[in-house]
Amino acid sequence: MKAMETGRKTGFSSWLRLRWSTESHFGTVLVLLVLIIMQTVVLGFDFGSFGEWFSAWGRNWINILRNNAGVGIIALGMAFVIIAGGIDLSVGSTLVAIGAASMMMLDIGPKGFLGNLGITGLPAFALTIVLAVLMGLVLGVLTGLLITKGRIAPFVATLGSMKILRSVTQHFMQGYNPRIPREFLQLANLQVGGLMFMPIIYWLAIALILIYVSQRTVWGRQVIAVGSNERAAQLSGVNVNRVKIGTYSLMGVLVGIASIIQVARIGTMDFANAGSGYEMDAIAAVVVGGTSMRGGRGTIFGTVLGMLIIAVMNNLLNLFGVPPFLREAAKGVIVIGSVLLQRKGNV
Amino acid sequence: MIEMRNICKSFGTNQVLKDVSITINDGEICALIGENGAGKSTLMNILGGVLPADSGAIYLNGKQVRFANPAESLKAGIAFIHQELNLINDLPVFENMFLGREIRSRLGRIDLEAMEEKTADVFRRMNIELDPRAMVRDLDASYKQIVEICRAILMDASVIIMDEPTTSLTEPEIRRVFQMMETLRDQGVGIIFISHKLNEVMDICERYMVLRDGELVAEGKVAEVTTDELARYMVGHDVRTEQLTRTVRIGEEVLRVENLSHRTFFRNVSFSVRSGEILGFTGLLGDGRSELFQALFGAQDIQSGMVWLDGREVRIQSTEHALELGIGYLPRNRKENAIIKDMDIMENASIVTWPLFARNGVIDKNRHAGLFAEQRERLGIRLQRVTDPINTLSGGNQQKVVLAKWLAARPKVLILDNPTQGVDVGAKEEIYDIILNLAEQGLAIIVLSSEAQEVIRLCDRALVMYQGHIQGEVSGSTMNEHDIMRLATGGALDAS
Repeated sequence: MKAMETGRKTGFSSWLRLRWSTESHFGTVLVLLVLIIMQTVVLGFDFGSFGEWFSAWGRNWINILRNNAGVGIIALGMAFVIIAGGIDLSVGSTLVAIGAASMMMLDIGPKGFLGNLGITGLPAFALTIVLAVLMGLVLGVLTGLLITKGRIAPFVATLGSMKILRSVTQHFMQGYNPRIPREFLQLANLQVGGLMFMPIIYWLAIALILIYVSQRTVWGRQVIAVGSNERAAQLSGVNVNRVKIGTYSLMGVLVGIASIIQVARIGTMDFANAGSGYEMDAIAAVVVGGTSMRGGRGTIFGTVLGMLIIAVMNNLLNLFGVPPFLREAAKGVIVIGSVLLQRKGNV
Repeated sequence: MIEMRNICKSFGTNQVLKDVSITINDGEICALIGENGAGKSTLMNILGGVLPADSGAIYLNGKQVRFANPAESLKAGIAFIHQELNLINDLPVFENMFLGREIRSRLGRIDLEAMEEKTADVFRRMNIELDPRAMVRDLDASYKQIVEICRAILMDASVIIMDEPTTSLTEPEIRRVFQMMETLRDQGVGIIFISHKLNEVMDICERYMVLRDGELVAEGKVAEVTTDELARYMVGHDVRTEQLTRTVRIGEEVLRVENLSHRTFFRNVSFSVRSGEILGFTGLLGDGRSELFQALFGAQDIQSGMVWLDGREVRIQSTEHALELGIGYLPRNRKENAIIKDMDIMENASIVTWPLFARNGVIDKNRHAGLFAEQRERLGIRLQRVTDPINTLSGGNQQKVVLAKWLAARPKVLILDNPTQGVDVGAKEEIYDIILNLAEQGLAIIVLSSEAQEVIRLCDRALVMYQGHIQGEVSGSTMNEHDIMRLATGGALDAS
């Protein structure tokens, strides 16, 4: 019907409207392209040669992606959680808690846990990464159990753990400044041809894997079924609780990875502020990427696009020289605006 | 006195009320009975101003009245108490009594004291021991019903319509509501009592009116009829409609259930079903059969009882477990319970079997495509592309997709709850054929239906439920609407 009606008219605007309403990521990609063009223009072409311009443009991009890789990874997990009909507010605090634990493991000072056991170098790094991921997994499973077996609303359960994890971390890390071995920082800061893009590789690799998981695996599709119609999913033999716990567990694992990247990037962590607001940034990316907060509708690819839109937007504001306090407002406008645009596309 | 004269009403081509005329006198309790779909609700919705009539007129004390909406009907003194009560759990009784019509003081402030006082007045007048300040949440079902009735009195209702007020009540609670109704009658209020329970009709009503297929087929004094006669009026005939023919090859017992009980929904249910057999389960709305089979399918708790599958005792933990054991379940209310609207036809048809054919957790798309192509052929599912959204299909085809997802799992027992709900006549016959076909292939099939006709035509024998337990079994010569209705309303079969 819709195709026929618009098909009668010709021209660019009707083509645009048709694509917008039938192809799920069309609008998102379009917005991203417009932002990238604007960003390119603002960056300017005042360079000696094409090579110089390209290298400046490329560096800018690598900076954008690297700075957002952590939240980008968290947003991927958030997408699964939200598609299944949940929400996770505790990601920022979990990040700090895992970060603190990892730093205690790695510390080369007198209190360093692994150092005191005589484990250093690569084995220590490997062990730390494994434990960080494991800690994320355990915290995720616990959250999932609270929500499914404990029947606490996801918002409330994760609001609680958000408070608990940050406060406990801050308390135990008072006056303790672990020192991270410099080699560990290579994990995020390894330079290839003078460029540091390790976090970007992690982010993209995880995104590709999760896009596959969401589209092709039993669990990935069950997540969508549960979010769309929990009752029907249950009555189709889907173990709804296990699917939900799975989304929070994946979220935990991804926060563990993001935490390691964060520690490896800077080598220190401000336990009071690090990761705060990440939950909202991740949710924003998911929503901008076209996922419904009511669950059931959304994609992982869309979430990557959503994260990119927010990242490029930030960069653009930076290039424009918009005062820092106003930048959050721009983010707000993007979130609300994108949802309105998506709604229009569905008319 | 209220009169409805020559009321006609159609929905599309379907005429649901054909020239119905009824009278309700002041100070009398009058039963309005009939099978599901007989037109009771439509008639009362017209009286309550919810629906307009196509033709006919309503007279209030001899003067013609017109109701454009429920508020006008209410203003004229007709109160409609719906089956789902309109009370707000988190407000006290007296605030509920004045919902939407709060008493305001001169400054526009809500006058809680006056509201409480008036509520207490009504309760005194009706001899009800109830604290106006009690929270509605804390009341039992009968008191909630009573609060609704008192609200009607507060609005000076001269006629009160009560739509199956006793369905969710226990015996003593029913007594309490009946007492209240009698008090009202003695004060000159006319009551229309819609019920399926014929014993209650005999108990409390003076007069009865029976609707069947949109026509008033019988009315008169309750004292002059028996429940048997009422049941016959409701069904219209005691002729048995011919059963669909098939070669019955009933095999081994597949599923056996003993003394299954649940806190509220069902108790002491025992039955068994064999391979190749179609067992019917029927009864009235709220008889607990849907909950019983949801429990059997692992979607609801079971308090006690035992289940055997292929001679082995099983404890079904979850729907996933039930699926693994070989139980299939097609739920009623397709839209809420079976359709996943954000997924396409193909996915809706394969969700059940994803885990069964997956390799390392990855869905085997080709296998599902092949399976569905087969089912599509076998069930005659008409669609354009398997990647279209599920809600582009007609009701009948959606139902077949739901059926297909279960058949792909090759269950031993297939439970079908209202399998022809919301499908047109043609698709209905097709679904019957499919069910018969499945039974011939050796599946044990349980069909839940509130349509006696459907049970008679489809099933080899049927169990009739009444208020959560099995009231009796019908088969052979007792497999007729009359006997089914008798059992479903709490009666017994004639000893033979």
